[in-house]
Amino acid sequence: MKEFLRMENMSKKFGEVYANKEINLSVMEGEVHTLLGENGAGKSTLMNIVTGLYQPTGGDIYLRGNKVKIESPSKAVKLGIGMVHQHFMLVEALTVFENIILGITKEKSIFIKKDAIKKEIQELADKYGLDIEIDKAITEISVGAQQRVEILKALYRGAELLILDEPTAALTDIEVEGLFKIIRKLTAENKSVIFISHKMREVLEISDRITILRSGQTIKTLNKKETEEAELANLMIGKELVNSEYKKVQKTKEKILTLEQVSFNKSSKHNGISEVSLTVGKGEILGIAGVDGNGQSQLAQIVTGVIAPESGNVLLNSDKVAKFAPINFINSSVSHIPEDRNKMGLIGNMSVKENLILKSLSKKRISAGKGFYLKRKAISLYAKEMKEKYDIRCASIDMELRNLSGGNQQKIVLARELEEEPKLLVAVHPTRGLDIGATKYVHDMMIASRDKGCGILLISADFDEVLKLSDRIAVMFEGQVVGIYPGENPPISEISLAMSGKAK
Amino acid sequence: MATPILIVALAELYSERAGQVNIGLDGIMAFGALVGFLTSYITGNPYLGVLAGGIAGLLINMVYAFCTITLGAEQIVYGMAINIFAPALASFIYKIYFGISSTLAQATLMKVMPIPILSKIPILGPVLFNHTIIVYLAYLLVPFTYVFFTKTKPGLNYRAVGEYPKAAESLGINVVRQKYIACMICGALAGMGGAYLTTCYISTYSDGVVSGRGFIALSAVIFGRWMPGGVLMAALLFALIIYYEKTNMEECL
Amino acid sequence: MKMKNTLIKILVPILSVLCSFLVGAIMITLIGGNPVDAYKFLIRGAFGSTANIGETIVKAVPLIFTGLAATFAYKCGVFNLGAEGQFTMGAVTSIWISTVVTGVTGIPLILLSLTGGIIAGGIWGAIPGILKITRGLNEIIVSIMLNYVAVLFMGFLYSGPLREGSVPQTAAVTVKLGRIMTGTRVHAGIIIALIIAVCIYYFLFYTAGGFKLRAVGLNQTASLFNGFSVKRFMLISFIISGAIAGLGGSVELHGTQFRLMSGFGAGYGFDGVAIALIGQLNPIGTVLVAYLFAVLRAGATTMQVGSGMPTSVVDIIQALIIV
Repeated sequence: MKEFLRMENMSKKFGEVYANKEINLSVMEGEVHTLLGENGAGKSTLMNIVTGLYQPTGGDIYLRGNKVKIESPSKAVKLGIGMVHQHFMLVEALTVFENIILGITKEKSIFIKKDAIKKEIQELADKYGLDIEIDKAITEISVGAQQRVEILKALYRGAELLILDEPTAALTDIEVEGLFKIIRKLTAENKSVIFISHKMREVLEISDRITILRSGQTIKTLNKKETEEAELANLMIGKELVNSEYKKVQKTKEKILTLEQVSFNKSSKHNGISEVSLTVGKGEILGIAGVDGNGQSQLAQIVTGVIAPESGNVLLNSDKVAKFAPINFINSSVSHIPEDRNKMGLIGNMSVKENLILKSLSKKRISAGKGFYLKRKAISLYAKEMKEKYDIRCASIDMELRNLSGGNQQKIVLARELEEEPKLLVAVHPTRGLDIGATKYVHDMMIASRDKGCGILLISADFDEVLKLSDRIAVMFEGQVVGIYPGENPPISEISLAMSGKAK
Repeated sequence: MATPILIVALAELYSERAGQVNIGLDGIMAFGALVGFLTSYITGNPYLGVLAGGIAGLLINMVYAFCTITLGAEQIVYGMAINIFAPALASFIYKIYFGISSTLAQATLMKVMPIPILSKIPILGPVLFNHTIIVYLAYLLVPFTYVFFTKTKPGLNYRAVGEYPKAAESLGINVVRQKYIACMICGALAGMGGAYLTTCYISTYSDGVVSGRGFIALSAVIFGRWMPGGVLMAALLFALIIYYEKTNMEECL
Repeated sequence: MKMKNTLIKILVPILSVLCSFLVGAIMITLIGGNPVDAYKFLIRGAFGSTANIGETIVKAVPLIFTGLAATFAYKCGVFNLGAEGQFTMGAVTSIWISTVVTGVTGIPLILLSLTGGIIAGGIWGAIPGILKITRGLNEIIVSIMLNYVAVLFMGFLYSGPLREGSVPQTAAVTVKLGRIMTGTRVHAGIIIALIIAVCIYYFLFYTAGGFKLRAVGLNQTASLFNGFSVKRFMLISFIISGAIAGLGGSVELHGTQFRLMSGFGAGYGFDGVAIALIGQLNPIGTVLVAYLFAVLRAGATTMQVGSGMPTSVVDIIQALIIV
């Protein structure tokens, strides 16, 4: 087998941070090569370099042994590199046919020779078993069919290497089987495939070789035949045992939050949850581990009232929630550290002090006459107090929030959400994008809240974080809770496997 | 009656198909009307007038294009700015040229070009085939636009830019250039639509000659569901309403 | 820090106004005029006599109303380009009340009429709001279309059922807003306008409701997550915005125009948007800018007569201020 693509010492720096550091990767002709790694391991950055969206800070790319420079996406297309993005790049208002020929310049005539090109596309589709309905609009066809259109689009542009980013994420099991058949046909025709996934079963089924990335670096490249699930999981996570610096507590009797068979958008594995049952006790942290996009966002939004479940019950302090609206949950003393603090938690164009009082506008301390008069002086005093107490570093409390660093912004969220001593805290990726200092601060505050009796539902794609903080760990996979494990001496291999869909 | 609305609605169609909502049509029309009128007045050639109106509209719309595409500013705000700026500039130039209190200057109107034979058909002939060339061209533009957007590759790329610029970019289509082209087409057509008013419809220029036709055209595009045929229907319908309204008013007077 | 920010907020619009005047001066020079003379006439036209000062204030009143209407909607993140329609409907309702209601005169009638204007404007503003929230229709387009409906409806009234005499216009209202400055046409409407401006300022910056409304305008998702009802605030802001414009139409009718005729309220809606933007979406700033626009307009005629500079110079200056 000949080598198709080789990347040597690829590095990409964003500011001072390496997203990729001296990565080596080689893909053979006719090979399915999997990139395996957690969120943020550097897979997307690397693929963005190959497809010409990013320019590397260092390193070389060789195609069939010749050194190349990929300056733009169109150059990548010319070199025979095609990518199917996780979020499809299809123009929904156009038909399948129109999407496939979009932007192609190989024919001179400005009119579209519909019949001739259609025939050509159909032949290509038949060759690889890509079943498509060429005249339908994109909105009329299934997600699986849209993916086939994307693959066909790349092939029609002469792709020799196809990059599939999380291709099975949105597919049903049967569709996954179909996709694998297509991939096998492609490799039989000597085309190469880079397959990005973190689902162990699929990775082991389809790959020839597997390269594991962690924290932007290549950890190891393995032949499928010489490895097994446990080894891959451990390499991906990077540790076999962690000692948490925080004391774990035993499960308490008093329940703050109970979910009974809760479902939302059940048929979707990635944007819904299916019959989830779990409890959060008083003064305990329940950590939800799992790869991003397995229903965690929906879970968080249900237990904060942003969306309403389609079936099942949610109980707060053993009272059944009747109406799902954020205000009801806030009034029941539920706090929320949302997953995207800039979009969901804070208002960038308002001042620090205004953001601090977003949820306490009707409190006596802040306003008089049912909110008819805001006590400006009292607000400033309160904001200054919070600034001291939560160590928010800003030049002034009147400064616009967007000028603060991520860590300080998150401290504002903490101050707002924890100051009122909530009964339940829903924390979603609470330290995403923060530096070590700020991360530790957030963790300390959460543990302190727990010790005061707050029940915490921690949702994080950062496995380390879940291990470190949780008193109990639940694993979510494709919208379901697939296992609950103790936080004290957790069985890490077992949890890792559960996260990739291999629960015992 | 429907012609200027149709031309300008098509202008907006070209703009919106590339994702550029331009509510500055009224302003562009006013400017086109003035330049068209002046050119026709000076040269005595209304055809040159329409051409000049188109060029003027194109140029003034570049202000909008630059601010919204290159600087990424709010499309609505700059559309509004054009609506205030362009008619003011037009009025300014007119008054500078003719003096402030002059009587209405008259320019030559474009001659009607009856189409031989066809215009002789009873009833239908004079209604359909007895107009200025601009009218014929405007109506021909409808099928042309339809073919362009549905049957040609540039038309396809054009629509992709408007619908999902990121996807278009990933396929190597130059989104910024396409948007500028869209704004050029829009400006030119809207300018010609304005010039039509002063070279074919009435022979004078006065402030407010456009009288909201730009906004009516904008509505016609939406009413016509962004399709050339629909836009034609909407333009005809709106023109009919205005015509009815106007005759009604005149009867009252 | 705060001082500096406030200073910048005040300085930027002032600087842009000055720059626009400078460009205006250059244009005047280019066409062979004397900018100093022209501006002298401009200022004389706006402030030259008690009557002139009064006329400027009279011109400012409707602009303040539509400017405030635009400001209020923008603050909640929705575009209300329908102020002209709401303004017109307010006036239409007032004239209808004046015609239909009998047995009430004087101040009660005015109050009734103004209330009618508020309600009509509010309803006219609610339409795009409701359509946006329930059907997802673009509020900009709907509100512009409604302008035409309102203007055509007004046209139908003054040339049809409510026509008086041979000219297409309605009869004059019987009760007028009181004059408050001798020797001028300044009426109580300016006081109403200023009260409304202060009320809006208070509401936006001193009450919890105003706070939430601004939050919704700046970040809808965060507002939702923090327990604010986003849709309700959007609808309310549309209704209040419409009500302000409607009251403006009513005031203009009772204070200045007295009757409906062709061109009533024309352009005020879009001017209001421009004024709101230049006024940095601040009610007080809006009042000041509305006054500036009125100064330019009142002065423009004098300048045209006095120095031979066309009034359009002033429009150009206005447009440049926006850009």
